[in-house]
Amino acid sequence: MLVKELRQGLRARSFIGVFLALQIILGVILLSASAAATSDQAGSTISNIIFTFFSIAVLVVQPMRGITTLSSEIKDNTIDMMVMTRLSAWRIVTGKWSAIVSQSALILITIVPYLILRYFFGGMNLLGEIVMLALIFITSSALTAITVGLSASGSVFLRSIVPMFSLPVGSYILLMFLMFGFGRGSSLADFCALDSDASRITISIYIASCLYIGFFFLAAGTSLIAPYAENHSTLRRLIALGVTCITVVLCSIYVTDPDFLPYFLALVLAPAFALSLTEFGPLVPPTYRKFSRFGMIGKIGGLFLFPGWPSGVFFCSLLTLVAAIPYYFVTSSYGYSTDENIIIALGCLGTLLFPALIINLFKMKGPARVSNYILLGAASCILALVLLGVAESMSNPGFLWLFVWLPPVALAMLETRIDDQEIFAAILIVDVVLFAALQVMALRNFLASIRENQQSLSSEAPVEPTNP
Amino acid sequence: MSEAAITVHNLYRFFGPLQAVNGISFEIPHGSVCGFVGANGAGKTTTMRILASLDYPTMGHAEICGINVIHHPAEVRRLIGWMPDHFGNYDNMTVLEYLDFYARALGYKGAERRQRIDEVMDFTDLVPLADRFSNKLSKGMTQRLCLGRSLLHDPQVLIMDEPAAGLDPKARVELKHLIRVLAKEGKTIFISSHILSELGEMCDSLLFVNNGRIVHHGDSESLKRTSDSLGGVLYDVQLDGDPQALSDWAILQPNIELLESRKTGGRIRIDTEDPARAADVLSRMVRDNLRVIDFHREQRNLEDAFIDMLTNIENDQNQPVRPPPPVPTQSEPPPQKAPNEP
Repeated sequence: MLVKELRQGLRARSFIGVFLALQIILGVILLSASAAATSDQAGSTISNIIFTFFSIAVLVVQPMRGITTLSSEIKDNTIDMMVMTRLSAWRIVTGKWSAIVSQSALILITIVPYLILRYFFGGMNLLGEIVMLALIFITSSALTAITVGLSASGSVFLRSIVPMFSLPVGSYILLMFLMFGFGRGSSLADFCALDSDASRITISIYIASCLYIGFFFLAAGTSLIAPYAENHSTLRRLIALGVTCITVVLCSIYVTDPDFLPYFLALVLAPAFALSLTEFGPLVPPTYRKFSRFGMIGKIGGLFLFPGWPSGVFFCSLLTLVAAIPYYFVTSSYGYSTDENIIIALGCLGTLLFPALIINLFKMKGPARVSNYILLGAASCILALVLLGVAESMSNPGFLWLFVWLPPVALAMLETRIDDQEIFAAILIVDVVLFAALQVMALRNFLASIRENQQSLSSEAPVEPTNP
Repeated sequence: MSEAAITVHNLYRFFGPLQAVNGISFEIPHGSVCGFVGANGAGKTTTMRILASLDYPTMGHAEICGINVIHHPAEVRRLIGWMPDHFGNYDNMTVLEYLDFYARALGYKGAERRQRIDEVMDFTDLVPLADRFSNKLSKGMTQRLCLGRSLLHDPQVLIMDEPAAGLDPKARVELKHLIRVLAKEGKTIFISSHILSELGEMCDSLLFVNNGRIVHHGDSESLKRTSDSLGGVLYDVQLDGDPQALSDWAILQPNIELLESRKTGGRIRIDTEDPARAADVLSRMVRDNLRVIDFHREQRNLEDAFIDMLTNIENDQNQPVRPPPPVPTQSEPPPQKAPNEP
């Protein structure tokens, strides 16, 4: 897959254009800088220019090339021809992603000579700039994973406009959040020098976040194109559970400020919830057979790990229980009032559950479930912000109680004078209702699909290939 | 051991309220070419996609060479070659690279891969186009390339959805030739097309589908033959000489009726389908000194037969046509219902 994608990608005009433009721009800049080498600021100016153009190339142009990768295969019907081979859906998606990332790596390698030349202009924080370069590349890889994963979605809006505007902003906010959270406001290049615990922890978390988010978006793309008989859900859920457990342990031990807890957990849980609650494929006999071989253990495991949204609901309940553990430790260890943090956590949880309830109530099918989930989630958050604005303009925060059934509104209410205890009670009730409704719907569908698979397997005649 | 290359039993596929495939059953023996005919939206592509393990039936059972497509999709994919009804070609990729990619994807390595690519390029006459970019090919060349791709792993069964659509006459003849060669090699070919006359020429049997149901399964000759409701058969007769002699002769013959006189002969009706009677009639004509230069049973073309069949179904809605019962197999599994989708 990588060979094919590289063959195509390296001949693509978009890559050749970016590659040549970058070389020409950097060449001209270095020549100009050489002419004006007397200036003390020349080195840092060149650094800024190199990083700016490199960032545009790999953080904007390269990820945007991923937007059409899977959608064009689906539109041209070539995806069917590929899944008829021995290529799994995961290999198809990762092959496409790795081809674009390889081209980004090629661009990265070609700017190294310019950085070596820039070194002789002096004033260079060598380690800081190398780490920054690596971080830009890792961010580019994660953004490419997001666009490649979303490119399998049928929604043009989701796969083009959302990434175009939200990705650069989102990655910037994430990095700044981590940087200022730990580093308390130093400059980016200095902060990347890994000369303090804050720097090392922040960059480690940032890289881990990029890897995790990138993996989940690639997994989302895989789910959208995979034939029903390919089970990608189980491994993905096990990874999500493992990462949640590690995060919970690290948070329970190391997090001193409960303000961070909801955000860390939301970062880990959101991708897992989004995919588990929107899986649209039926549970098919080949997958069911693999679990049923393990008897009772397989059946219990299947409750959480079978492909499909019904078991996804149970899996998300399990993740919620696991994610609740650090709250106990943090509150008991530090004696810190966490009412607001718990409201934020419950609000985030409800925000993740609400779109799932809507798409299952309206029985949305196919890949549209994923795009509708994301769009509904984003729309409910925007609506909550609008309602908050309206309430503030009317100087009447009580107005928000009308919309308290919309979980993000609880988060908005925290910005008003409404008593935390009242908000806590409201969001708790909303979350319980959402969970209960989803559990009932899931249980009904889950039992039906188990029954049908059992009937199907019991009726299967022994088969063996025949030679004509 | 199944004797059929393709077995479909009580297959259903619903898309919400739409019943795309509505309980169809049929069998296609090994080494035969079967045409799949139906109007747009009749359920052809859906059935073919289920057989290719690309879609999942709402209910029912399908096998390729005795392997259940629902339970063993990976094994089924090794046995079938799939040509979809429409597909795009890759930008910036030559014909050779295109086949090389699919050969790699199918697991061929080294010399074996090169050999398979050479074989299919030779078979599909793609050698002169090896370095041409695949998105610059004509429709006919693209179809040959797609056929070559689907033959890379030497499948036993070839499923072709509308392979002749959009082809010019020359490309259509080339494709037909390739399909005939494949059929001679013993491959089972399941092919859908709108060009019924060509299907009739190359197919051993035809499946007519309408509204997701099979309305006919048999050879094309039986469809072309005409007979009236009383079992009479029409023949075209051409004479060398006065056509009036035919009408004079017919009046004197029992069980023969002249339906129409023409410049060079006429149409007669013989009251039975028995071919021996036709031979007897012809010998009597010769014996009575009619100078017969042509005597043949009147045939409809397949398009007319298909239209007639659809018209009859529409006129007879109170008596829905039932699909022919499947030939019982030794261990026929009961129909299975697929799990519900959300």
